Amino acid sequence: MDERFNKEFEQLALPLLDPLYNFACWLSGDPDEANDLVQETFVKALRAFPSFRIGTNFRAWMYRILRNTFLTSRTGLERRNTSQQDEEGYDDAVVSHDTPELALMRQADTELVRAAIAQLSPVFQEVLLLADIEEMKYQEVADTLAIPIGTVMSRLARARKQIREHIVNGLGKK
Amino acid sequence: MHCEYRQKIALFADGELASAEQQAVSSHLGSCPECSAALLELLEMKKSVRLAGNRFSAPLELRRAVQDKLRVRKTPVAFWQWGLAAACCLLVATLGFMAYSREQRQDTVIASLVDQHVIALASDHPVDVISSDSHNVKPWFQGKLPFTFNLPELGNSPFSLIGGKTVYQRQEPGAELLYGIRKHRISVFIFRGQAGSTKVVQDRGSSFTVEHWTEGGLRFYLVTDATGEDADQLASMLKEANRL
Repeated sequence: MDERFNKEFEQLALPLLDPLYNFACWLSGDPDEANDLVQETFVKALRAFPSFRIGTNFRAWMYRILRNTFLTSRTGLERRNTSQQDEEGYDDAVVSHDTPELALMRQADTELVRAAIAQLSPVFQEVLLLADIEEMKYQEVADTLAIPIGTVMSRLARARKQIREHIVNGLGKK
Repeated sequence: MHCEYRQKIALFADGELASAEQQAVSSHLGSCPECSAALLELLEMKKSVRLAGNRFSAPLELRRAVQDKLRVRKTPVAFWQWGLAAACCLLVATLGFMAYSREQRQDTVIASLVDQHVIALASDHPVDVISSDSHNVKPWFQGKLPFTFNLPELGNSPFSLIGGKTVYQRQEPGAELLYGIRKHRISVFIFRGQAGSTKVVQDRGSSFTVEHWTEGGLRFYLVTDATGEDADQLASMLKEANRL
């Protein structure tokens, strides 16, 4: 691969290093494994970069490589086997207006929210991470995870519902 | 029973609605406490998740390791490539030296021809053949020069032919033609040169205007203290007359 390709790849990929590492840490739950995942992702992506079509979503492409790398790792396989795919609708995922949950949500500290994210099953967690942390659009999330946009919406709603419940329960115990 | 807009609150918060729908939900929020409470809570949760979720940043070692992997591995340069590079350098140096030498030689020629023009200006006998008629001057050079040339018809031009003589440049015979324009003199030197033509090279850096070109296999040098426009005009007439 020539220097021009490397330069172009570097310019696109290096700004994603921190978010990719963050995503890898959440997925694997282990900083060392995340380190290996990210390095492997960059090597794979660089090798495959000549086949990447400029103009398509590079960020989604990188995340997809990282996620696929994770899913084929030992931890990934284990997590995939234990995850529960709850694909219910999301129409009941928002709270009713007269609850004091808004006030509770404002009281939620970072550790509690982190614990709430960590307890999510992988399919919900990854959608939440991409949509609410990486601030991807639904279509971008769908492209990254190779799932229909409707599935993105339902998983995101379920993830948010579980986060809210975790926070409310956590604050209720205090 | 939930408000009909409740389904759209998450899409609204995530900026996933089309602009018309976004506008409609926005208007609705002002009059629906249920939807506005749901939206506020969702926005609060999104903010908390974003803050809490952005937890890890890549350690320095990882950044270095990734940058190392991105670095292009340069293939070793083969012996023949070094040889080729050296040959290219030599060629460039030779061409550069040749160009420099040619330029130096040209400068020397021009300097000597300017001297020749000054001598003609100072001399009581600046030319060997005195005639304003080109049909007299041109034949005078026959047998004296190993080449022939044409002189332009001056007609209504401001130029007048004064005469000519033979000159030598690096032991090579040539013609010097002396023209007058108003109170100025123009020396035109003609030597044998290469075939083809080159554009005029002008040197107006000194007190004399010098123009040099080749046309019809002849090298022309024009030296004068007249204006550049006068020099250009006579040069184009000479070029025209000698165009093959």
